[in-house]
Amino acid sequence: MKHLMEEELIEAYYGGDEADAASREHLESCAACAQAYAALKSDLDDVKPVSPPARDERFGEQVWERIEPSLHTYTERKWSWRPLGMWRGLGLAAACALLLIGGFTAGRLSVQRKPPITVAKQPAPVVKVGKVEVVVLSDHLDRSERLLVELKHADTDSAEMASPMRDEARSLLGPNRVCMKNATQNGDPALATALDHLNRLLAQLADQREGLNSATIARLQEEMNADGLLFEVRVLRTRIPDRQTGNKAHLNGGTI
Amino acid sequence: MQCMDKNDHAAIQAVLSGDKEAYGTLVVRHSPSLFRVAFRITGNEADAEDVVQEAFLRGYRKLKGFESRSEFGTWIYRIAVRCALNRIGARRVDGAGRVAEQNDPEEDEIQVEDSAAGPDRLLLSGEIGALQESAMRSLSPAERTAFVLRHMEDCSTEEIAVALGIAPNAAKQAVFRAVQKLRGRLAELRVKI
Repeated sequence: MKHLMEEELIEAYYGGDEADAASREHLESCAACAQAYAALKSDLDDVKPVSPPARDERFGEQVWERIEPSLHTYTERKWSWRPLGMWRGLGLAAACALLLIGGFTAGRLSVQRKPPITVAKQPAPVVKVGKVEVVVLSDHLDRSERLLVELKHADTDSAEMASPMRDEARSLLGPNRVCMKNATQNGDPALATALDHLNRLLAQLADQREGLNSATIARLQEEMNADGLLFEVRVLRTRIPDRQTGNKAHLNGGTI
Repeated sequence: MQCMDKNDHAAIQAVLSGDKEAYGTLVVRHSPSLFRVAFRITGNEADAEDVVQEAFLRGYRKLKGFESRSEFGTWIYRIAVRCALNRIGARRVDGAGRVAEQNDPEEDEIQVEDSAAGPDRLLLSGEIGALQESAMRSLSPAERTAFVLRHMEDCSTEEIAVALGIAPNAAKQAVFRAVQKLRGRLAELRVKI
């Protein structure tokens, strides 16, 4: 038979849930162990719990009075990042970064989902504008030259000639404004100035609601000659073929 | 007891909200139990009072870290046990230093545990408490604290382990060693008597 160790006897003495049931059973059946246990019990029973000296009824209050001056006052905590600790703070920062990345990615994807605009389906309007500018200008100057020639040689007494000139002047006003605007934007002051003179004349021609009378035609002829408008238009018209060939690359390059 | 715990938690909340005086109610309420265990561990009235004060001071400073799941009484009790353990540990070191420096035989009798009280004196005074205290002095601070908690404060092995900040098995071994030493010391003293 295996006897109990002293540790097991001590364990049995203090009992409680920690005491081994097998040890208790062994003590009942083993005389030697029971004797050893009795000796242990006698020794430990002799060790009485120390009774502390009686304290004053105000002992607790006295303790408080002694320590109270050394205590600081807690201030109510306001929300801040610091109590979160480094790891919580880093976690929040990571979450924010993920949100940013997610938002950016979602934005990119939504843009990519839009149907791509192809040149074949929808030609770039800029290119079209560039071509129109060249064509209109040359054409416009041709038409304007013809009109001015007609005006120069117009018979002031013929109403048949006056009416088509007025209509032509009206149709030329719109393209003339476009050409004038383009000339200004492209930094061509000579062309812009000439077109501006032309614009004034065309406006006066087009503005005659009652029809062109001899007096008006005579006045316009005088103005045209004074300004040298026909000469200017002819000079410009001669420059156009050069501009077209010389600046084709530039125009194409500028519009594409 | 539950009502007291609620009061404790309410007082703690009040303290943390800026009401310092609320801590006074906790001090008044728990001072007796802290003094009892402190006296049993230190064996000295003045030391026990110092331990009580120190425990409440430490408790106040750590109050923000107090988890409301546990009971304040248990929490401050553990702090007091640690303070008492530190105090007897420091006293032991301090006493050993003085023995090394001085050759006064009477001083040695006081400071050196083996000759704390002679058998004649014990016989004459008839104080079994003195015999017990003499035996208790043969224990290390950890053994003494573990034994006091187990034998006098009815703490379980787990509670001792938590209070001392050691593993449960280490706490159990500390109690065993304390009992062995006490029995041996008490037997020697009885023979001398």
